[in-house]
Formats: sequence, structure tokens, C-alpha cells
Amino acid sequence: MTGKRSKSSMLTQSGLSRRTLIKGAAAGAGLMMGPGFVRYAQAQSSEPIKIGFQAHRTGIGAAYGRWYERTTNAAAKMINDAGGINGRPLEIITEDDGTDPKRGAEVVEKFVNQHKVDVVYGTLFSHVVVGSAPTAGELKVPYYVVSEGYHVASGKMNRWCVQPGITDVRAQVTSVAPWIAGNLGKKVTMVYPDYAFGHDHRDFFTPAISAQGGEVIAQVPIPPTESSFTRYLPQIPSETEVLYHVMVGPAVLTFVKELGEFFGSSGPKMFGFIDSLEAVDIASPGLEFLDGTYFWEGMPRYAQADDSDAVKAYRAAVGINDNGASTEDTKDVATAAHMFGCWETLYVIKQAMEAAGYQGPQDRAKLIEATEAIEKFDAGAEHPQGDKVFNGKIHQCFGHQNISMVENQMLKVVHRTSIEDGMYEPAADYTTMPL
Amino acid sequence: MVLAALAAALPSAALAHSADRGFVLLLPTGHYMIGGAIAVALSFVILVFAPAGPLATAWEKALPMARAPRRGRTAVSFAGFALFWLLVAAGFFGSGDPLSNPLPLVFWTPFWVGLTMIQGLLGDAWRWINPWYGPYRLVSRLTGPAAPLALPRWMSCWPAVALLFGFAWFELVYPAPDDPARLAVVLAVYWLVSFAGMLLFGYEAWADRVEFLSVFFGIVARLSILERDGDSGRIALRLPGGKLADAGWLPPAGTLFLLLALSTVSFDGLMRTFFWAGIAGYNPLEYPGRTAVIASSTLGLAAMFVALSAAFLAAVWIGGRMSGDRVGLAEAAGQLVWSIVPIALAYHFSHYLAAFLVDGQYALAAISDPLSTGLNLFGTAGFHVYAGILAGPNAAWVIWNLQAVAIVGGHMLAVLISHIIAYRIHSTPDRAAIGQIPLAVLMVLYTLFGLWLLASPTV
Repeated sequence: MTGKRSKSSMLTQSGLSRRTLIKGAAAGAGLMMGPGFVRYAQAQSSEPIKIGFQAHRTGIGAAYGRWYERTTNAAAKMINDAGGINGRPLEIITEDDGTDPKRGAEVVEKFVNQHKVDVVYGTLFSHVVVGSAPTAGELKVPYYVVSEGYHVASGKMNRWCVQPGITDVRAQVTSVAPWIAGNLGKKVTMVYPDYAFGHDHRDFFTPAISAQGGEVIAQVPIPPTESSFTRYLPQIPSETEVLYHVMVGPAVLTFVKELGEFFGSSGPKMFGFIDSLEAVDIASPGLEFLDGTYFWEGMPRYAQADDSDAVKAYRAAVGINDNGASTEDTKDVATAAHMFGCWETLYVIKQAMEAAGYQGPQDRAKLIEATEAIEKFDAGAEHPQGDKVFNGKIHQCFGHQNISMVENQMLKVVHRTSIEDGMYEPAADYTTMPL
Repeated sequence: MVLAALAAALPSAALAHSADRGFVLLLPTGHYMIGGAIAVALSFVILVFAPAGPLATAWEKALPMARAPRRGRTAVSFAGFALFWLLVAAGFFGSGDPLSNPLPLVFWTPFWVGLTMIQGLLGDAWRWINPWYGPYRLVSRLTGPAAPLALPRWMSCWPAVALLFGFAWFELVYPAPDDPARLAVVLAVYWLVSFAGMLLFGYEAWADRVEFLSVFFGIVARLSILERDGDSGRIALRLPGGKLADAGWLPPAGTLFLLLALSTVSFDGLMRTFFWAGIAGYNPLEYPGRTAVIASSTLGLAAMFVALSAAFLAAVWIGGRMSGDRVGLAEAAGQLVWSIVPIALAYHFSHYLAAFLVDGQYALAAISDPLSTGLNLFGTAGFHVYAGILAGPNAAWVIWNLQAVAIVGGHMLAVLISHIIAYRIHSTPDRAAIGQIPLAVLMVLYTLFGLWLLASPTV
């Protein structure tokens, strides 16, 4: 343990060891109840593969976490119904990280030391990934994240942390630039929240649109605490052809409403990221102004006319209807643009375990190497979002992105970027790090 | 970084305390605030001109109903005791997932949110179901009824104040109050310590002055409409708050206990606002997680308590001076503080409503399979949780209106109760009316504050 870690593990160890002493693996679901509670190494060939699902069950990530859980369970069921991994069933063990980086690190430790999982998986929020990855590295446990952040590809994590099931924000932002320049206009004004999230968009998109002969003619950073935007909108130059917006937070709806009031029926073309309205019904009153505007989507929320059988099967298994809401509860709109990453990541784990001949925790390093050796994923039932290439050096996949237009308060895909549109020069090489 | 920004735009459901705040921001909440403040202020003005005598008489009316069962309290308490330890066992042995394990779900939702509402609206159920009374009766039958020790008088109910603060800290500040195993440890230790205290110092003394849940639920039940006559055992129907109007005066520790109860639920709302993020120094779109804000949240919780207590005591003191009557501050505050109960209950309802609607469903599913072993005891295991009931503009409108009605109604009832109490404290109706003005102003301000908390952007 390094000095940095010892602080949080000291905090937890009294609690953990106390429970461990009294009750063994206290929170393991049914762990001590059945005959399965035998020492793992002795019986691993018949034991399930244990996936530690680091879930945002509480805290600010809970709404996302709910859909990540549903997708995870659906994929695990699909894998188990088809015979599991190397003939062993998958067991998903869920622990809540409270959407909190320190608790995230504790959960990784608990997964390894208490639940004896094979891999840790499923983290969404970037700050939790950044807080947990060092622990995964120290404990040498493969850590498959589904977070969309650039932090993995940037080289700032470690060799145990991989993101094979969802593209990163840098690739997403880069890949939409050619279509925007070719179809919406070349003079772009960016409206973004004035902190790291917005700065990523500013810093990745500005060079990407320049490379297409376009130009960011104005930047309108908005303080994160703002809940009304009318005084910022006059900063948008009148010659703006495209308004690129990435507002997030509870005031997004107010932002859209005030944009509509400001521009009326005229105004520039608009391009946004569905992150702003993920899990919010586009057909809500007040969002009518969005009709005719464009959004990036990782995977389409609404069923499309040309959906493949794989996409249809995926949507049915996860339980979302044609509007991207729960089939059981049509007001519960899914986080469709991101949650496919859970499904695809579980299948990557399966593919890598099978390639590595994975038997148990002693093969964790082989599993990482097998993951790094993967070069591409074909579209299909295992990868319903589409084919992807995987760069083992930066532990990051690259894929197609969807550009959708709002039409009758629904999102219709009008363009699918090529994988190459989102490629950038890798800036790291994890494979040179020791395992 | 990227996704850390997003959740605030979402309908935050599980164990969060706010509904879809984005849609609330589109509602004309400012009008509600002005309207609510006017309604509370007007109710004060109307009461000043209403004859106090008949009002007090009406509020003292009790409509006798059935006779309460004289026996069975021990047995019911044993059922509560059994349920308590079953849940604690589930916390230890069941799933580590707080949305699958019945302990955190049942404790924080049906118990903490639900039972408080039952206590405040209907009557003192806790007296029957608490998990100590039955076992205490059993053990004291063996050891004799006399407690070997006595709590010192100076201690008053200060231990309960300290424990309530600790509990609020655990709920609002501690990083993992939902973690099943940690919650199980806390509850098991608390039960054992309390039980030992009851055996050593007597059940009544401990439950009245130390065990904060009994103190809290007992106070809240004063607002409810059912009243049990101790001697005859008859149950009578009272107007809401009727029992508060003729309650005795609370000692200073009791007064502060009640103010702390309102402070904690107020801070629960405040700590989620963008406004508080600015004070605590973090970006509200990039909430860093509970572990990163322990110090600021602890200070905030304490500061809220100090601020509310100071405001209340100042209002009572100034009111006393303005009236010209010589009433001691502790005595006046100890009576008028009862008017805080409906406000605290209204806050409780408003702040937990959204979480209750979703987590109640999770609880329903979890009790059927308490150890996550595939059982389906009540046929609700695997129940699909309808989180969509909180989503969208219609849900936001309904929830906001329910919250606003509760906040405004709670304050209006508070004005009424303090009005009736004031007539008892002061020598003449005129002096009572004048003496109430500062407290009425505070209640109008607190109405605004309560609505503002529910209308503000939150993380």
C-alpha cells in the first residue's frame, strides 16, 4: 500500500475486519449460506466467474446506475443462457460506491479481499474511476470501466484499467466535426459550462473543426452555478452558423426554454450532446424548440427503421421500448446513449477470458494481456452499438457515433460517423508498464 | 469528469431527496413563495382578530372513541424486537447492495420516513412497536421493577439532543449510511447500549431522556389526531395540534431537541442546493462525493442548528419584551417551541416524498428476498421499481404542489398553535398578539426558506 492509499484503507479496515471476524464475508450475497462457500482456489473450475459490479446505487449517479444495472443483468443473463464463460456461469456481485471516489476505492478493495472477484467492472462516473484505479492497480485486479472519459486513453490510469466497451469523449467530439462542417456550417459558437467538462469539449472540438476548414468564432462559457442564461445569449455573434451547446445540470431545461425565447423561429443551426438530456423525455413540454436541432448519441435512444436484429434483441433484453423508455414503466427513460457500454464490456470480458484460457485470479495478468491483444469487435449480438477497433496501448476502443435530428420530439439518426472520424494520435502506451 | 456533470440533469431517484428538479425550475415557484408567505402572514393577522377563547376551546375538544387495548403492548413490542433483529441479521448476512438489502431500505424509508409521518398524523405507534419495551418488561420481571441507578437531574434530556445530532450526522454527512453491514453494526450497538441503559436507569427515564427515537417520536406524536388517555385507556380524536396546544413546557434541552429536529431536515434540503455548493466551495455540477465534504457538511449541520435556535429564541425574547409581560425566556420558549412540530413534520414530508415513492418500492422488493438467496416470501421479489413516477413535468408539478401545500399548511398550523399557546402565556389578548409578532415574522421567513429549498437547483 502506498501512502496515498493507506489513509482510506485505515478508515475502512476497522469496519471491515470487525465484520470479517464476526461474520466472514458479511455482505456477500448468499456467500456463506450455501455449500458454495468453499475456498475458491480449490473448486474454481465449477465456481462461477465473479464480476464485481462497482455500481452507483446511491449518490448523484443513482439514475444512471439503475440503467447500468439493468443492462448488466440483461447481458449476464444472455451470457449465462448461452453457457457462460469457459463453461462457468457469471455471477454479478453488486457493491454501491455512493458515486464517491473514496468509497469507490474501498469497494475495489472489498471486491478483491472479501468477495474474491475475478474482475471489477462497470464504473461510470469519471471521478470514481480516477479514485478507484490506483487501488485496482495495487491489488492487480482487472478494472473494466464504462465511463466515457478520456482519462483512460490519456495514459493517466494504469495497466489494470481498461475501457473497451464505450468510446471516450475526445473521440466523440472529434468525430462529429466533419459532419457539422459539411452540413450545418463552418462558423461555430460554443456554449459550455465553465469547468473541466465544458473545457474538454472546447479543447477537443476547436482543433477538430479547424481541421475541417471551420472555425470557432466565439466561446460562451457559463458559470456552473447559473440557473438563468438570458444575459449570456446576446454574446452569441449574429454571424454564427452553428451553435454547439453542452449544458448540463438541472438548469438545462431552462437553458433550452430561454434559447427558444431568444431565437424564436430564426437563429443558427444547433448541435448538442444528448448527455444534456439523457434520461429526460424529449417530448416534454418546453423542449419543442429542440425540433430540427441535432444531437450526438452514443447509441440511438429511439428505435430506428433500419435497426438490425442485434439491436432489436439488445433493446428487448434490456427492456426498453421504441421510445427508449422502460417497457414496464414508460415514463422511465433509459440512459440509452451510454448503457450499451455495459453490455459490450461484459462481452469483451468474455472474449478476453476465453482467449486467455482464464481459470482464476492467478490468470488476471494474462487476462489484461489478452484484452490488450484484441484489435477489433464485430457488430452483432455482442456489440449491438456497432463494430469497433480497440487500441491495446491506450486501453480504449473507437467506434461509430450517431448524429440524430429531433423530429416530432423524437430523435432520428441522420448520420453515422466512421470509426476513423474519431481517431486521434495515441499519447500513451500502457503495455510497457509491468503487470 | 464528463459524466460527473450529468446526474444533476436527471430524475434522481434512489435515496436521493429531490424529484426532477429541472422541471421544477420551469414552474412559477416564485409565485408560490410569495403566495405561501402571504398565506402564513394573513393567517396570523386573522387569528389576531379572532376570539382566542372559542378557538382554544375547540382545540381542546376531544372526541372519545374506542378503548385502547390495555394488554398487548409487550407482545407487540416483542414483534418489533423480532423484526428489528431479523433486519439487522439481513444487514449482516444479506446483499451488500443497499437497494437489495432490506435493512437500509426498511430503516430509512418505511421506518424513518414512514413512521415519522404516522406518528405525526395518526398517533404514537412507536410506544407499541419499539424493540426495547417488551424485552425490558421480560427482564425487569426477573430482576424487579426498580432501576438500580438514576439519571442525574442536571442531565435533563441533553443526551437525546446529542444522540439526535449524531443520528443526523450519520444520515446526512457520514459517507455510507446505506451500507447494509455498517448500518447493521450501528443499529445493533445502539440497541444493546440503549437496552443496557434501560435496565440500569429504568425504561421510562431512558426512553424520555436519552433514547432519541423515543423522544423524537413522542414529540411528533403530539401533533397527531389520536390521543390516548393514560388513566382510562380511552382513545380520543383531537384536532391536529390539539395535543400540542395543551402540552406542558419543555425544558431547555427539550426545546433545543425540537429545534435540532427541524434544523437537520432543513439542512438536508440546504446541503443539496447550488447555494450551499458555493458556500462549501465545490462545483455543483461536479459533486465530489460525500467523503470530500465531511468537514463542510458537519459545520453546516451545526451552523444550521445554531442559526435556527438563535432565530427562534431571539423571536421569543423580542416578543416577550414587546408584549410587556414578564415571562421567562425558557418558559416562553419551552411552550412556544411546540409550534415547531408541524413545521418539522411538513419538512419531513416534503423532503422525503420523492425518495419515499421510489425507495418504498425497492423496500417492497427487498423484504421478499431478505438475504438475496432467491426467496420470494411475499411475492414481491424482483418487483420492477417504477422510478418513472418521479420523471417528467407532470410528476414534478404534482410533487412540487404537494410539497408546497405541506410547507405552507405546516406553517399555518404552527401560527395557529403558537397563537393558542401565546394566549396562555400572556396576561391579555392584546399583549399576546403583540408578543407573537416576531415569531410570526420568523414563520413567514421560514415558509419562504422552505419553499426556496424545494425550488432551488440542486446537485
